[in-house]
Amino acid sequence: MINVKVKCFSQVKYALGVDVLTFEVDENTTSIDLEKIIRERAGEKLNDVSLRIAINQKYQKEEIALQDGDEVVFIPPVQGG
Amino acid sequence: MVIVEIINEPIESFQIANGDNQNGAELVFNGKVRATEKGKPIKYLEYEYYEGMAEAELKRLANNACKNFTINHLYCRHRVGKVKPSEISIHIIILSKHRKEAINAMDWFIFELKKNVPIWKWAILKDGKKVPSDCIH
Repeated sequence: MINVKVKCFSQVKYALGVDVLTFEVDENTTSIDLEKIIRERAGEKLNDVSLRIAINQKYQKEEIALQDGDEVVFIPPVQGG
Repeated sequence: MVIVEIINEPIESFQIANGDNQNGAELVFNGKVRATEKGKPIKYLEYEYYEGMAEAELKRLANNACKNFTINHLYCRHRVGKVKPSEISIHIIILSKHRKEAINAMDWFIFELKKNVPIWKWAILKDGKKVPSDCIH
């Protein structure tokens, strides 16, 4: 098993009601697997929200296997400016 | 030179050195908070950001702007926290030899910032409701 930390912002924080979650998951868990877990946990609140994935503060375009200690953020559409 | 900052206080303009005589264009952009969100009056916008990654993305974009548009300097301050109508939420200065590359770089930089930098905002309406603020212009 590995531990990963999920930081929540904007609509993800609103949907889940927390700033940070820690998950203990199987070693083969990927970023997409974790997104499914997050979406299920949010019920229908994230159904219309597209999410990009950042791992250890870098955008990831491809599905990748998570590593122990990873910091994961599911990034809803950004709104700077 | 590139300077990017994310701050939780009113924005003051960057001070440009008087001795700079290599740049014929000094382009300044101030993004300000409008008084309404989808036609409804607001009390303020509340910005949040992903600390660390937001600064890194801003810096990456600023460096790319310098490379791709042959500008010499890009300075950017983005405010977070509560920002009231008419206050500045983002301040950018670009210096270049001629105007055209500065104007093109500014447009590209703001477009990319709004697409990639992990900063979000909610509009707090006068009636107390909190709604996403999703300006893409």
